[in-house]
Amino acid sequence: MPVWLREHSWRQTLTAVYLSLPLRGARATPANIFCSEQYLKVSIPPFLFEAILYAPIDDANSTAKIGNGNIFFTLYKKEPAMWDSLTLANAGKEKLQYLRENAVLKAQEKAKEEKEAKKITKQACKKYALEATMKLEEAERKRIEDLKEKERQKVAKELEFWKNQQKDADKYKSIQQKGELHQEIEPLKERKNEKMNKTRIPNEGTSKIRLKSTKGHGSCSIFSQNLKEEQLPAPRAAATIKVNFTPRVFPTALRESRVAEEEEWLHKQAEARRRINSDLSELEDLKEEEKNPDWLKDKGNKMFVMGNYLGAVNAYNLAVRLNDKLPLLYLNRAACHLKLRNLHKAIEDSSKALELLTPPVPDNENARVKAHVRRGTAFCQLELYTEGLQDYEAALKIDPKNKNIEKDAEKVRHFMEETMQSS
Amino acid sequence: MSATAGPERPQVVSHVQQALSYTVFDCRWVPRSARLLCLGSAARGTGLIQLYELHGARLELLREIEKPKPIKCGTFGATSLQQRYLATGDFDGNLNIWNLEAPEIPVYSVKGHKEIINSIDGVGGLGIGEGAPEIVTGSRDGTVKVWDPRQNDTPVANMEPVQGESKRDCWTVAFGNAYNQEERVVCAGYDNGDIKLFDLKTMSLRWETNIKNGVCSVEFDRKDINMNKLVATSLEGKFHVFDMRTQHPTKGFASVSEKAQKSTIWQVRHLPQNRDIFMTSGGSGSLHLWKYEYPAHRSKKDSEGSEMGVAGSVSLLQNVTLSTQPISSLDWSPDKKGLCVCGAFDQTVRVLIVTKLNKM
Repeated sequence: MPVWLREHSWRQTLTAVYLSLPLRGARATPANIFCSEQYLKVSIPPFLFEAILYAPIDDANSTAKIGNGNIFFTLYKKEPAMWDSLTLANAGKEKLQYLRENAVLKAQEKAKEEKEAKKITKQACKKYALEATMKLEEAERKRIEDLKEKERQKVAKELEFWKNQQKDADKYKSIQQKGELHQEIEPLKERKNEKMNKTRIPNEGTSKIRLKSTKGHGSCSIFSQNLKEEQLPAPRAAATIKVNFTPRVFPTALRESRVAEEEEWLHKQAEARRRINSDLSELEDLKEEEKNPDWLKDKGNKMFVMGNYLGAVNAYNLAVRLNDKLPLLYLNRAACHLKLRNLHKAIEDSSKALELLTPPVPDNENARVKAHVRRGTAFCQLELYTEGLQDYEAALKIDPKNKNIEKDAEKVRHFMEETMQSS
Repeated sequence: MSATAGPERPQVVSHVQQALSYTVFDCRWVPRSARLLCLGSAARGTGLIQLYELHGARLELLREIEKPKPIKCGTFGATSLQQRYLATGDFDGNLNIWNLEAPEIPVYSVKGHKEIINSIDGVGGLGIGEGAPEIVTGSRDGTVKVWDPRQNDTPVANMEPVQGESKRDCWTVAFGNAYNQEERVVCAGYDNGDIKLFDLKTMSLRWETNIKNGVCSVEFDRKDINMNKLVATSLEGKFHVFDMRTQHPTKGFASVSEKAQKSTIWQVRHLPQNRDIFMTSGGSGSLHLWKYEYPAHRSKKDSEGSEMGVAGSVSLLQNVTLSTQPISSLDWSPDKKGLCVCGAFDQTVRVLIVTKLNKM
């Protein structure tokens, strides 16, 4: 049950009502006061003060002053008239109710309207702000453009001025040249006459001296130019300088190289070289150098050249046992097998070599061509001409300019046709 | 760093733009005049030389000369100021020197190379420097040859690959160190990144290095002084500035390198009036203006006591994008500071003015 505050006091003038409400120790904030046109309520739980006003007031302009344990209301009347009393007497309960609700509704509507109004003004403000910034930026841009334009014009003017200067200078120079030319021709004519008049005595010395003394004129005269040419050194003695270009593992410039593949190939090579099959028990009785696959390969090559094919095969076999990743070993062993007519073994070895020679890069072109050729030959000697031809064509693809391969491929094709015809 | 309108930075102002009906490979100012030359190749496979004059805000075509072979490059470097003969290299390997007043017959002609002459440079003319006038040409056949216009048919120096060596295209050549009558040096850049410095006085290779990417353009900051700086530009947007005053016996010359942009840097040209400012032109149609700052000490002693150079630093003054196609040629006017012409592969030639260079 709220506690009603009844000890209010009021006085009025024609236009305003002054109401003073003691609060009995409660603290009031603006939120506790509710006022509409004809209804005034102060609710500070548990205290309550309520008044249905005698006549409508202008609640927008009316004020409430909170202080000293007291609220002092200044209510401006809508119609200037003297009120009989502050509140409406005889107000029935229903009327009270009705008025209360009405007041609340009205207050709500007002609040809504205020909100709308506020929104509209806010939007208008924003728009205005935006336009203002745009104008500022536009002004800035224009300023920069103007600066640039001014520069351009200044520069164009300077250019014109300089050009005209050039033209004048040229004209002046050409006039000067003509003048001096004239001047030079005169003494030359005189000198010529003098020379013709003088007899045997060699005057070249004196005439030359005189020529030099007239050189004191401007630099544009023809004669001084001739002398300057004579001062130029003779053309250089011809010589050639030989140059070397920076070597690279792959002879292509950075932009042309297929770096990824080449890296892979190099890596594989390095790997292969590092590997050594560690089968030490059998190899204990070998000498140091015989454990080196490269040395064995060289030995094998030498024996091949001398015709000792079996020996070469042995050397390569040992090398392969030590390191089975070197393609060249298989390649050379294939050649030996060919010579020994171990054709199947030749095919096997060439195939193994080709396997190890991936990825295909310009560096291992030669090796791949050889491998294909050897395998092709082996196939043909086994009368497997189609496979042989395939290998020859692969070799040709890698190295199109090799005449031998072409000839052999032709021969094989002939054989094939003949055998097909005869069968 | 973008092009700003700050008060102190040099601005690149585009003064005139001229559309051409052919591909322009080189553009050069005619010394002591407001005229410029455009050299290139017409669609029908012939060479064109056009002479323009700058009139206010436009270029007026004065002469057009057509030649049987497309022309790749040209220079005025080896002629006197009175004669102003143009030396050109064409797609067929011919070196010709033309008198522009009477261009029907060349003053000097030689079939110098078996393949296209990629680059040409001249020294000893225009009243700059001393010594005999000489022209150097670099070609796709891997050789660099030096010619003297007074000697027909044979070059006075020939830098060719050793017998049996596979050749690399020479993309650019430049003269330098021509401070007296005897001294002269030729620098050549190749497509595999080699830069070689040949000394013509001793007829030997003085220095070589490799910058990994093909060298598009080399230039000394001045041809007629004791060699001071060399700028070499390459593919993939890098350029190197070498300090040429101190040569270390093993390490060669000190250098600083800068990566300006992602595309090829086609040309570098030093401002004739200030040797520490240079402009690079790029494959994306942009121009960058750089300034080199020297270090506190230009040389220092290394651990063995031999002198070693110290490279300075390079700062970007301005950059501007003019075109979408590469700007393949660039030339500063020797007479007006800041005036330059550039030719691009979008068949336009532009005259630009760079302002505020006096303050640099």
